[in-house]
Amino acid sequence: MLLAAAALTKTYRLGRVDVPALRGVDLTVQRGEFIAITGPSGSGKSTLMHILGCLDTPTSGSYRIDGEDVGTLRGKDLARVRNRKVGFVFQTFNLMPRLTVEENVALPLKYRGGMARPERRKRALALLERLGLSDRVGHRPDELSGGQRQRVAIARALVGEPAILMADEPTGNLDSKAGANVLDTFDELHRMGHTIILVTHDPNVAARAERIVHISDGVVV
Amino acid sequence: MRPGEALELASDAWREIRAHPMRSLLTLSGIVFGAASLVSMASLATGLREMAYADLRAIGFPRSYALRDFGPRSDAVTATERRHTGLRIADLEALRAVRGVASVHGRAFAGEQLVVGPRDRRSVPVEGADAGYLELRNLRIVSGRTITPVDVMHVARVAVIGEEMRRDLFGTTDPIGRRIRIDGVGFTVVGVVAPMPIGFIPADFSWVARRIYIPYTFVSRYRLGEGRVSQIIVTAREDAEFASVMQAGSALVRQRHGGVEDFNLRNEAADLLSDYAMADGILGGWNGVMFAIAGVTLVVGGIGLFSVLLISVRERVREIGIRKALGASDGDIMQLFLAESLTLAVIGSVAGVGGGVALIMITKLIGASFGKDFVIPLSVPGIGFAIAFALGVGIVFGWYPARKAAKLDPIQAMGGV
Repeated sequence: MLLAAAALTKTYRLGRVDVPALRGVDLTVQRGEFIAITGPSGSGKSTLMHILGCLDTPTSGSYRIDGEDVGTLRGKDLARVRNRKVGFVFQTFNLMPRLTVEENVALPLKYRGGMARPERRKRALALLERLGLSDRVGHRPDELSGGQRQRVAIARALVGEPAILMADEPTGNLDSKAGANVLDTFDELHRMGHTIILVTHDPNVAARAERIVHISDGVVV
Repeated sequence: MRPGEALELASDAWREIRAHPMRSLLTLSGIVFGAASLVSMASLATGLREMAYADLRAIGFPRSYALRDFGPRSDAVTATERRHTGLRIADLEALRAVRGVASVHGRAFAGEQLVVGPRDRRSVPVEGADAGYLELRNLRIVSGRTITPVDVMHVARVAVIGEEMRRDLFGTTDPIGRRIRIDGVGFTVVGVVAPMPIGFIPADFSWVARRIYIPYTFVSRYRLGEGRVSQIIVTAREDAEFASVMQAGSALVRQRHGGVEDFNLRNEAADLLSDYAMADGILGGWNGVMFAIAGVTLVVGGIGLFSVLLISVRERVREIGIRKALGASDGDIMQLFLAESLTLAVIGSVAGVGGGVALIMITKLIGASFGKDFVIPLSVPGIGFAIAFALGVGIVFGWYPARKAAKLDPIQAMGGV
């Protein structure tokens, strides 16, 4: 079992009102699985992804990655888990505009500590080659097409060899052709054994996954 | 942190700084001015101190003391006072033999005398002196010659007049070789003296420019009488011998006067030193004030840095969120902004030190164009302090924005992803 979340709740305080976003979510993900989390906006799917990706912490419940209880981790320890266990792909790519493609991809390795620049560079270049972006390494993100940017973002998510690849509406900002291309990339990564969690509201995108987890009103339905 | 990491942080910071050159330049200017004023103030303070010391040496009599005549007194009351004989030229000659004495000079005051020149007549203080004394007093011969030992020996009727007296008595005509009458006695003007300018004080300011100097032997013979002199100035050959020269000299004169102390001693070297100590104290106070002002400039520069960093943090909120999502810890984010702040401080302080040095050079050049030699040595402690202070400012004023950045929530920072 790679991911094991049990009875996860998340409650936000808005002024004096408690707003429950998650109300007891149980979810397990096996190594190598490709799952999609879907649900309408406001259903709590984003909150779930934030907690699964260690960007946020649950109000209650337990969450383990690779057997390590990460639900109780804070600050520096949580940053370490994000860096080593999780790779993020965002809807808006979230690349650093002033860094080159290669520097963007190598960035997570910088926060791992103790890895020299040439080694980080080597790994980034190897991954960019795998994703067919070798001819773009010296470019800035704004010199690339949307599809290329998203593939750079995927390379950045994978460079640290994380346990889980998390994608949040990865095709949301792409035209259909580029979107299909990115989804093909996910399929290929899945075939190679990567564990992928894809969050989307689009049923056609969700259909590419092996398993669909539907969230509604803060619970899995 | 390894040097490689520090270097990488600095180069990333440099890239960020270059990304908005105008803003960075404005930020830098505050630090630059602060550091420049610290360096130039520190150097100026050191320079003023050295110039003041040089001035005091120029006015004063290093290693010299004066025996000042005390009597005989017409209002003598006690038996001892009635035995006062006063200082004589013979005492002066005897003092030359004292061990360690470099020179002995006579002074004889004739008081205010009516002096008649071709242009004007007026009452002028007339003083009997010799060449060595004029030199000690820092009087420079601007034309003609000084009062020579031969003049002194022959009781020559020659006069060296102060620069201001030359103007009053002769106007624009050359006074050398011309005759003046001092209290009815004819004298030949042989030289004009002017005091060396003392620092920023104009030469005319000094009373020595308003006097007339004649051989002291003349005043002694025809005014004071009986070979008496008003003062005897004794200089010592070595600093170390000064105290013993003073002691031996006064003992000798007392003995020659039958044990009667009819003179007093004025230790002009000590007076000079106490003047110097006082000036030093005043300058020290000024240094403090100048340093504080320069420090305030640098702190103001720091506030500029602070606000620019806050802007930078606000602008880079999304970037901070992304970096955190990729695994950057609070410490990593903090380093990112502290590196930017420190890099700005380093560049600013180095440029400021350069600017301060340039300012000093310019001041020297301006001084030189006015014929003044400003002694402004570069203050190395000042430079060190300026750089250290600028770095301190960089850390102190970088801390809050860096911390603010580090504490951002990644999800909110990315705009809810």
